[in-house]
Amino acid sequence: MKGIIFVKLNQFVDELWGEEFWDALLQEATLPSEGIYTSVATYDDEELFTLVGLIMLKQELSAQQAQFAFGQWMFKELLLAAPPEAHKFTDVFEFLYGVQAVIHVEVKKLNPEAILPEFEFIQETDNSLTFHYISPRHMCYFCEGIIQGLAAHTGQTVSVEQPECVHEGGERCVMKVTKVG
Amino acid sequence: MAKSREELETRIAVLERKVEREKKARVMSEQHLEYHSRAVYEANQSLQASLAMAKKKQAELEFLRQTSGDVSSDISLQELISNTVELTGQFFSVECGLFIVTKDGEALDSQEDNIWRAPNQWVTDTEFFEQAVKFLPLHQQECLSMWLVSAIDDESSQAMSGFKWIVFVNFALLGDKIAWLAFFSRAEFIDEEALSVLGTAREHLLSGINRRVTDVNIRKRTVELQDTVNRLEQAKRQLIQSEKMASLGQLAAGVAHEINNPVGFIRSNLEMLEEYLQDYQTLHESMLRHIETAGQLDAQHYKELCDNIDLAYIQQDAKDLLGSNLEGLERVKEIVENLRTFSHSGDGKLERINLGVCIEGALKIAWNALKYEHIVENQIPNDLPEVLGNIGQLQQVFVNLFVNAAYAMDAGGTLTLKAHVTPDALLVEVRDTGCGMDRKTLDQLFTPFFTTKPVGVGTGLGLSVSYAILESHNVLTQVSSTVGKGTLFSLSFPLLDG
Repeated sequence: MKGIIFVKLNQFVDELWGEEFWDALLQEATLPSEGIYTSVATYDDEELFTLVGLIMLKQELSAQQAQFAFGQWMFKELLLAAPPEAHKFTDVFEFLYGVQAVIHVEVKKLNPEAILPEFEFIQETDNSLTFHYISPRHMCYFCEGIIQGLAAHTGQTVSVEQPECVHEGGERCVMKVTKVG
Repeated sequence: MAKSREELETRIAVLERKVEREKKARVMSEQHLEYHSRAVYEANQSLQASLAMAKKKQAELEFLRQTSGDVSSDISLQELISNTVELTGQFFSVECGLFIVTKDGEALDSQEDNIWRAPNQWVTDTEFFEQAVKFLPLHQQECLSMWLVSAIDDESSQAMSGFKWIVFVNFALLGDKIAWLAFFSRAEFIDEEALSVLGTAREHLLSGINRRVTDVNIRKRTVELQDTVNRLEQAKRQLIQSEKMASLGQLAAGVAHEINNPVGFIRSNLEMLEEYLQDYQTLHESMLRHIETAGQLDAQHYKELCDNIDLAYIQQDAKDLLGSNLEGLERVKEIVENLRTFSHSGDGKLERINLGVCIEGALKIAWNALKYEHIVENQIPNDLPEVLGNIGQLQQVFVNLFVNAAYAMDAGGTLTLKAHVTPDALLVEVRDTGCGMDRKTLDQLFTPFFTTKPVGVGTGLGLSVSYAILESHNVLTQVSSTVGKGTLFSLSFPLLDG
């Protein structure tokens, strides 16, 4: 997992629950990296899951809630770091299509080893877009949060549901984004 | 609200740990940066090396492209070799190149402008040339299979001073000649890789030289073939003429007869006319005598004198005889004219001709062979369209066909001549009611020297020459024959355009 995610998680936790809480998480987690995160390095995925697991435990949140909240907050942070092309989109669907074609291409240029989720678009109507979310990390709730963060950025209101989800016994994760109103 | 001491200590501990993590993170980031800077530097170095390599490869490819382009182009051998020297000299970055042709180990005369100097100039430098060729094994008759490199350590020669290496190769040319290419380098070391590229270029050049040598051979062969074709063409023309003369010889007796006949009756007519002239003389004398004695001549007496010599008959007969003589002379004139047309060798040029006139002339020449035993039905209309032909040659063909027909109808028969226009051709038919031919004879009909006539009667060339003439007129010839019934020759003459 890219260090930026850990740095941003740190920032997120600091903002939400304060530096002491982050410190407490690290103290308790005893991670191989000792919580020394830089955005340019890469860390074991397990460290993220451990930290998120501890947050859930301490804040009494479900995995869905935790990932969703982090994703929603994360969008604007990622957008700041994203290439200029990412800023031209004004529509949620356009952006989702552009993620793979534009943003992930740029990310790969800087981080050739980065593991990025793939979207396989299944169906589009005027107000809904259905796609297959493919990632070895299965962070579909985080993805839901990101999409909500994106909708806030474009000023649109959307609902995100998962007709299929690996966490619900499904074979795969399918996201259906519907524009509301 | 002031925090308790314990809270403050906890806060300090949290912040200290945070600072510690940030410090370590900074060190890590810096290490990371250093690592990446190094990686970028190395990547840059490797890119530069790749670029240099790519440029070198590009130069090699460009060199090979140019040399093989020359090889496959149409430039002469001389140009090909001088271009190769220029390209190789430039590619190999040498100061000087040399191109000479030797035979039996000796350089051939032309040694002007055979030294190439960088950047690109051909010069004459006798001193350099004489020193340079000492490094080449010119006496060696076998060609080298690769570029050879020799070190130049001869410091005594002013002309060669500064040169460290000579790289050379040779090729076989036509006529036991050998072409030598040599390059002189001042470089400390010879680039072995470039040498291997030169090897490839050498193979291209070799194939180019071979191709040109082959081309020269092919051109020579083509000229020889053309000569042969011309000689054959000449021989064919001579053969046609010879055959014509031979058939003319065979016809000569008949033709002489044809001429003799009118000459005979003209002579007897003239004798008759001479007698009539004598009668006139007698009449004149009688009239003079009568006038002398009687002093006058009356009508009664004049009539008596005229009746004595049968003047009325003489007058009528003399007119007939003169008419007959003129006709006879006309016949002789026609025969002579036809013979002249027939025997004239001409240039074989095709002109617009009337086939009816041509056939008429041929009939006159062959007339003696036909007139006694045979009926000739000439049904050729007068208004046939003109065709392209050589009248002398075509007469030869028809005379030949008529004489053959007469020969085939030795017990008499009918020779029928017909002509009509079809959509694509003017069709002339020559039909006889003679003995006909079997399959075997038909198959050999146009074979030279094939004849069914006894020795001394035919040349065996008549129809084969006729066939050659008809072919040169683009005439389609068809023969059908039934043994005992007769033979039909159908000749399709192409119609004139428009």
